[in-house]
Amino acid sequence: MIKANKIEKTYSKTAILTPVLNDITLSIQKGEYVAIMGTSGSGKSTLMYILGCLDKPTKGELELDGVDVYGMDDDALSALRNKKIGFVFQQFFLLERTTALDNVLLPLIYANKYPDDALQRGRKVLAQVGLEDRVEYLANELSGGQQQRVAIARALINDPDVIFADEPTGNLDSQSTAEILDILGHLHQEGRTIIIVTHDRTVANHAQRILELKDGRIAEIKNP
Amino acid sequence: MTIGVASVVVMVSMGRGAQKHILDMIHNMGTNLIVVNAGQVTLVGGRERQAAIVTTLRPADVTAIAEHVVSVADAAPETSRSMNVRWESENMKTDIVGVTPAAFRIRKIETKVGRIFNSFENDSAQRVAVIGSVIAETLFHDENPVGHQIRIGLAPFEVVGVMTTKGVDATGVDRDDRILIPLETIMRRLVRTFFIQKIHIQVKNFDKLNSAEAEIRNLLRERHRLGDKPDDFTIQNQATIVETEKEATRTLTILVGSIASISLLVGGIGILAVMLTAFRERRKEIGLRRAVGARRSDIRTQFLLESLIFAGLGGFFGAFFGILFTILASALGGWNIIISWVATFFGFALSAVVGLIFGIYPASKAARLEPIEALRSE
Ligand SMILES: Nc1ncnc2c1ncn2[C@@H]1O[C@H](COP(=O)(O)OP(=O)(O)O)[C@@H](O)[C@H]1O
Ligand SMILES: [Mg+2]
Repeated sequence: MIKANKIEKTYSKTAILTPVLNDITLSIQKGEYVAIMGTSGSGKSTLMYILGCLDKPTKGELELDGVDVYGMDDDALSALRNKKIGFVFQQFFLLERTTALDNVLLPLIYANKYPDDALQRGRKVLAQVGLEDRVEYLANELSGGQQQRVAIARALINDPDVIFADEPTGNLDSQSTAEILDILGHLHQEGRTIIIVTHDRTVANHAQRILELKDGRIAEIKNP
Repeated sequence: MTIGVASVVVMVSMGRGAQKHILDMIHNMGTNLIVVNAGQVTLVGGRERQAAIVTTLRPADVTAIAEHVVSVADAAPETSRSMNVRWESENMKTDIVGVTPAAFRIRKIETKVGRIFNSFENDSAQRVAVIGSVIAETLFHDENPVGHQIRIGLAPFEVVGVMTTKGVDATGVDRDDRILIPLETIMRRLVRTFFIQKIHIQVKNFDKLNSAEAEIRNLLRERHRLGDKPDDFTIQNQATIVETEKEATRTLTILVGSIASISLLVGGIGILAVMLTAFRERRKEIGLRRAVGARRSDIRTQFLLESLIFAGLGGFFGAFFGILFTILASALGGWNIIISWVATFFGFALSAVVGLIFGIYPASKAARLEPIEALRSE
């Protein structure tokens, strides 16, 4: 599913050019639930953005679903993210004063063709995250946990191959954290590939596999 | 933006109004005209002001002009006085204008009922009158005035005709609110004067207007023995009157035009500022949209559309206020303005163009933003 080969990332702005990521090689199979762990600033988000085709590595190759991502142009990468990848962020990133449903439908605007069954699909994914009775609520009328669930529904709308979640529980209380991890667990059971980024060991333990980032390198610390 | 578009609408409407005004003026004055007024005429607020009684022009001057200036086709002297007219119990004050039959030819005055008076009636100072339609309505209501006796001052006059309705002229004078009687009659029987106030002179062709004006001036100066004194008359020709009018309109148009362009520019800069702020405040939104699949061009389009909508709203209100102002100005101020729908549309389109132009920079800034930078921004 995802194959990264000798990926290196150096931010050109940093004065000392020590790479944030150094010689990262990893492979993730379809249907796996993987956690990427590491301390703050270790480069977890950087790695996730690269794997999610939001950023390009300084060096190295990335293969997604058998396709070499490296040679793709900007528009092709946008289309790829739209169709195959769902993102969930620590800060939810919902459009305020916009209903849960419209937030969920946002990725469809950027699809090749706006589907006729968009509304049904929107309601369906909202039901999947347990928000069937909050469809018409504005994003800013929802609690943090509910907002993150809307974000997960948004990630699901295009039926993606992979879901990337960057510290999805970082801004949530323990109750909401449990709910979100529960939903991610369900999605995994349905056969989706899930990659979660976290600094929290207990969160990481929900995954099948844990990779740890340290000094720009990666180490396998849990493998069933 | 609003002011800019409003100005465009007003400007073009005004321009069209002025153009119509000038055409009207030429049409109603008659063509190839030179006007000589007794004494010095000053323009106050666009209207002629003449000292009340000026005794410089005589009928003999008219004869001399017709005889000695070759390019003159026709000359019509006139003198007028505001007086009371009465028919049965109705009674009103109006301008009594004494003219020769030439005036009807030169100034294209026609009757809708009855006839004009002839040279014989003029020469023998008959008491006949051709009345304006306002007079006909006020005094006679629905009755046909022709053949009835009215009283001007105390003297009885027979109404021989009613003039076709001409409306209010460029300077706000109602051309239907007057009575034409023979010049000899007004001079010998009503006012008892040897002097006339005005001469309308028609020149054979437009090119001769300026040379004829010069000849007439010299002739009158000689006849009045002015030596090195200033003119005791005012002479204007149609070419210069039209030119002056055009000049005034042009100045106004330039003024409104600069208001329009300045406010469009200010509006554009306003849009630039609003959109740059939007760009800064919505970096995360841009990042998110990119993450879920928006291409750079989608972001650019979104920002351009938003500036277009802003500008369009400004333009809409501008068009609205422009039309409102135009209507108010022509209703209250008596300005001669014609609403131009083309200008309204044009102003609207112009605001859209300004919106697009000033939207380009923020839009391309938004499109260039890297998604990870956008998502990481605080
Ligand atoms: N745009 C950037 N320019 C320069 N340095 C950056 C940029 N983004 C992240 N970094 C640096 O790269 C390192 C890794 O950041 P990040 O991937 O966000 O870590 P994590 O998500 O594990 O906390 C940090 O030291 C951070 O300061
Ligand atoms: Mg991070």
